[in-house]
Amino acid sequence: MCDKSAATVVFLVRWSRYNPYYLEPEVSKEAYSRPETELSAEEKEQRELKALRPIKAATSGVTSSVFDDPVISKFINMMMEHGNKVLAREIMTQTLENIKKKQVEKYHKASEGEREVIECNPYTIFHQALENCKPVVGLASIQKGGKYYQVPIPLTDNRRRFLAMKWMITECQDNKHRRTHMYEKLSQELLAAFGKEGNVIKKKYELHKMAEANRAYAHYRWW
Amino acid sequence: NLAAAGPEKFTLEYIQKQVEEYEIGKRHLANMMGEDSENFTQEDIDLFDFIYLFFLLKQICFYFQHPDEIFPKQRAVQWGADGRPFHFLFYTGKQSYYSLMHDLYGKILKIEKHQDRLRAKGLFSQDAQLISLGPSRWLTKEELELLLVETISTHDYDRFIKLMERMLAMPYSSTEEEFVQRYRRQLEAQSMKQMMPPLEKDENGVAFSTAEGRRKTSDSSVILRDCGSGHITINGQDYLQYFPVLQDREQLMFPLQFMGVLGRFNLECTVSGGGRSSQAGALRLAISRALLSFLSEGDGEAMRQAGLLTPDPRVRERKKPGQEGARRKFTWKKR
Repeated sequence: MCDKSAATVVFLVRWSRYNPYYLEPEVSKEAYSRPETELSAEEKEQRELKALRPIKAATSGVTSSVFDDPVISKFINMMMEHGNKVLAREIMTQTLENIKKKQVEKYHKASEGEREVIECNPYTIFHQALENCKPVVGLASIQKGGKYYQVPIPLTDNRRRFLAMKWMITECQDNKHRRTHMYEKLSQELLAAFGKEGNVIKKKYELHKMAEANRAYAHYRWW
Repeated sequence: NLAAAGPEKFTLEYIQKQVEEYEIGKRHLANMMGEDSENFTQEDIDLFDFIYLFFLLKQICFYFQHPDEIFPKQRAVQWGADGRPFHFLFYTGKQSYYSLMHDLYGKILKIEKHQDRLRAKGLFSQDAQLISLGPSRWLTKEELELLLVETISTHDYDRFIKLMERMLAMPYSSTEEEFVQRYRRQLEAQSMKQMMPPLEKDENGVAFSTAEGRRKTSDSSVILRDCGSGHITINGQDYLQYFPVLQDREQLMFPLQFMGVLGRFNLECTVSGGGRSSQAGALRLAISRALLSFLSEGDGEAMRQAGLLTPDPRVRERKKPGQEGARRKFTWKKR
């Protein structure tokens, strides 16, 4: 099997302590328990490549446990300020607990027919709320003929997830009553986003409207 | 103003003289040490201590390495007595590189001609005989420069690799396999060259292994005992007391949970230095290493691919002068 090494060297301003030869680690247990027969050709190639190359160390935020969620870890990191991971994680657990409490209250108060619709799992609520907040297109400032135009552009998955999380956090930090705790604000906003209401969803729709309005300039994008 | 002369150029006679002196010195050394002077190899010379031998050999100026390794490889003079260059591509400036590309393209044309002949006979098949190279990589730019004894740019190197890839993608390219193998290096069969700690047995017959780990400025050492109770002691304290934060305890459990041996081992750990998170990371590395001796090869490889066995190279970046921190600059003032 040919090893296609990167032929061009790009000089980036940000560098990593690892040699670019190192590959990312795969932490989940299931990836290693699949037998040979189930894999497609690319996955077989990936496996062979992994056997030959050195692998980076796993970071201190990830584990192979079933309770570890990469999306939640990313959200905790984004909430963290001045490296206070303990506090950020505490807020996250309190938020999830709060969501669960509210949903269970609602469940007990609801009648028989409505009970099936109510979602009690805080993790599914979190994921669904984040999905609902993700914008589909974004705007980029492109200079043409001396003026700057806001041009609609497609966004990568990572960018969309980042924007959803960022809006959620800034919205909770700025636009709520100052006497409420962060976990309270977050749980309210997440439940609203789950039901497709709330300020974050509004912000997403505004972005979409701007992109639709500037549709005429879409051809300014060259990539 | 004196123009820069470039790297020092040694004449061929000078280098030959150095080689002769090296050989004589080697024989003298062998005679002095009472070894066999005929079969005295470089490895035997490397074993000797330099200072001790300097006093013995102070008459002879002796390089402890073959002159070929000390003096960089240089080109012999490229033109004859009449001033006409030997190589037809001399005036391109990079004659070895261009002649290599020329040869490579010639090989591609040869393969295409071969394909045409087979097509004429009706024996051509699309997916026949692609070269199988095994686990190997292309020569790096530096290695190629050494081979060609001249400097090439990244652009030239890229073009070379692209042309090689193009040739490999053609059917019936296996005829040129030997040519291609000259420009490939074998990769080690596995990156799993781990130091496994030895499995020992203490007085009660319990198997245990010891390993060490480091992360940032923390050092840790772990004794993993195959008792079956799952107790963990760190610096004499219980792990629940020592690591009140859940994230650190998760990191401790990570290798054990990954392998599914959570309740099987007793851990006796010592750790010092660093902060809370780096101590947990150091312990995690030590536990994974100690666990290697209890597991099979396949499990060890799975741990390596999960990133448990690589020591984390990230350390605190130093503060630079003229800046406030490692990356943060002082506030920019226009005037």
